[in-house]
Amino acid sequence: MELTAKQKKQQLKLKTARRDQYKRYTRSTGGNVLYTLFLLIFGLYSVLPMIYMVVTSFKPLDELLVFPPRFFVIRPTPANYQILPSLLDNLSVPFSRYLFNSLFISIVTTVLHVLVASMAAFILAKTNIKFKNVIFAVVQFSLLYNAYTLEVPRYIIYSSLHMIDTYWIYILPAIPSSMGVFLMKQFMDANVPDPLIEAARIDGAGTMRTFWQIVMPIVKDGWLTLTLFEFIGLWSITPTGTIFSESLKTLPYAAANIVQGGLTRAGASMAVSCIMMIPPILVYLVSQRSVTQTMSSAGIK
Amino acid sequence: MESKVIQIPDLDKKRRVKGIESKKSMYGRMFILPWCIGMAFFFIIPLIQSLIYSFSTVIVDPGEMSTQWVGLDNYKTILNEDPTYTDNLISAVTSFFRSLPIVVIVSLILAMVLNQKFKGRTFFRAIYFLPVIIATGVVMQLLTKNLNGVDAIITLSADTTNTYTSSGGGGGMDFTTILNSLRFPEDITKTMSSLITSIFNTLWSCGIPIILFISGLQTIPEQLYEASKVEGATKWEEFWYITLPMLAQTLLLVIVFSMIDLLTSNTNPVLNQAYQYMNDSAVYDISGAMLWLFFAIVAGTVGIVIFLYTKLLLKRWS
Repeated sequence: MELTAKQKKQQLKLKTARRDQYKRYTRSTGGNVLYTLFLLIFGLYSVLPMIYMVVTSFKPLDELLVFPPRFFVIRPTPANYQILPSLLDNLSVPFSRYLFNSLFISIVTTVLHVLVASMAAFILAKTNIKFKNVIFAVVQFSLLYNAYTLEVPRYIIYSSLHMIDTYWIYILPAIPSSMGVFLMKQFMDANVPDPLIEAARIDGAGTMRTFWQIVMPIVKDGWLTLTLFEFIGLWSITPTGTIFSESLKTLPYAAANIVQGGLTRAGASMAVSCIMMIPPILVYLVSQRSVTQTMSSAGIK
Repeated sequence: MESKVIQIPDLDKKRRVKGIESKKSMYGRMFILPWCIGMAFFFIIPLIQSLIYSFSTVIVDPGEMSTQWVGLDNYKTILNEDPTYTDNLISAVTSFFRSLPIVVIVSLILAMVLNQKFKGRTFFRAIYFLPVIIATGVVMQLLTKNLNGVDAIITLSADTTNTYTSSGGGGGMDFTTILNSLRFPEDITKTMSSLITSIFNTLWSCGIPIILFISGLQTIPEQLYEASKVEGATKWEEFWYITLPMLAQTLLLVIVFSMIDLLTSNTNPVLNQAYQYMNDSAVYDISGAMLWLFFAIVAGTVGIVIFLYTKLLLKRWS
C-alpha cells in the first residue's frame, strides 16, 4: 500500500512537471494553426468516406441516383433507416439472434485471446523456459501467413474436431493468433523492467500473482490496444464455408444480405453500414480514454 | 568425514534449487500451454499439410483427399507454364517492398505530430484511427467493390482507366468523375487522381502503426528531452539520439505489423490468383505451391531484416 501511495505522489510530481514544461515551451499561435492545418488536410482522407457514408444514408432515392454524384444531401430523410426493420424481417432468423451471435463471439473471443496471448507473452518475455527462442521464432514466422494459405488443411482439422457448424469455429481458431503474443511481448519487453519481476519473486509472489498484480497493470496500454484490434477484427468476421445453420451466422452476414440487394438498396446498405460501425467506435473511445489516462510507465525505471 | 560434512549442504542446496526451478518452469509451461496447443492445431499442423500439398498431387474424391508425392513439379509448373504467376509474384513483391518504408515513415511522422500537445489532439487521433474501424468486412466491401451496379465510393486501386468507364449514379463518389465534372484538363485529372489514391492507400494502412507509435512515444520519459534541452540539443538531434533509439522496440513491432497488413491485403495479386484456384477449381496443390513460393521469398527477406535489425540497430541503440 505504501508503495502505491509513493507511486501516486511520484506520478503527480511528474504530471505537474510536465504541465509546467508545457507552459514554458508552448508553440506560437502560427505554429498551432500550421499543425492543425497539416493534420486536417491528411485527416480529410480518413474522415471523408465516413462522412460520405453517413450523409448518403440520409439521401432519398432520387438523390442517390443523381449523376455526377453530389457529396451533400439536400433533402435528408430517415427513410433508409426506417426500411431496415422490414428488410430484416425477411431474414429467416430474428435479427436479435444475429446481434447476439456477433456480440457473444466478439466479446468471448476477445477476452480469451487477450488472456491467452498475454500469458504466453509473459512467459516468453520474462522467464527462461526451454525452447523459448524456438517458440518466439514460430510466433514471428506465423505472423507472415494469412488465412488463405491454411484454409483447406484447417478445414480438415475442423471437421475432425467436429467443430463445423458450431460456435467453436469462430472462437477456437482466433484464440491462438500470434499477433497478440507478439504485441504483448514487445510491450512487456519495453515496459516491464526485469528487476521488478525479480523483486516480486524475492517477496514471494508466484508466477500467477506476478502476472496479475504486477505485469498486467503495467502493460494495460498493451492489452487495451490488443482488445481494440481483436474486437474490430472479430466484429466483422464472416464464416466461409464452415457455418451452415442460419441461427449461427453473424451480423455482418445479415448486413451483407442487405448490401447484396444492389442499386435499389444503396441507401439501406449505407444505413446498415453506419450502424455496424458503432460498436467498434465505442470500443475505441473506451480503450483510448483509459490508454491516455494511465500513461503507462508505472513502477520503477 | 570432513568431505561428507561439506557435501551435505551442497546436495541440499542443489536439490532445493532444482525444486524451485522445476516448479517455476512447470508454471511457465502451464501459462504458455493453451496458446501452444491452439497454435499446434490451427497453425503448425495445417502449415505442414499445405507444404505437403505443394509438393504433391492432390486428388479430391468425394469424402476424402489423397496425395501423391511429386517433388518440385508443382513449382516448375507455376514458374514455367503459368502465364501470369511470375508477373503477379514480381508485382506483389515489389509493391510490398515499395509500400513498407512509406507506411512506416509516414505513420512515424504522423504519430510524432499527434503526440505533440495541441488543442483537439484526441479528436485528430480518433480521425486517423477511423480507417481501421471502417475498413472491416461489409463496410469495406461497400467502399471498395462494385456491388451489383453500385459504384464504389472510393476507387482504391490506381487503375485510372477503369474509373473513366464507371458511370451512372448509385451513390459513388469517384475522385476522377468529380475532377472531370470540374472540367480540369485530362492530364491533371490523371495525375491528381493517382496521387490521391496513393495517399489514400498509404493513410488507410497507417491507422494501427500510428496507434503503436503513439503508445511507444508515450513511454519515453520526458526527463530525457529536458536534459537534452539543457545540453542544447537541436530537434534533429533529439529525434536521432532520443526518440528513435527509445522507439527501437516499437519500430520493430510496426514494421512487422505493416508487413502482415500488406501481405494479407485483398489487393495482393498472388493471393488472389491462388485463392481463385482454390475456390473455383479446387486445385490445392498448385495454389499451395503458389502461396509457398511467395511466402518463402517474403519470409526470407523479412527474416533477414529482423535479424539485421536486432543484431545491429538494437545493440547499437541500447
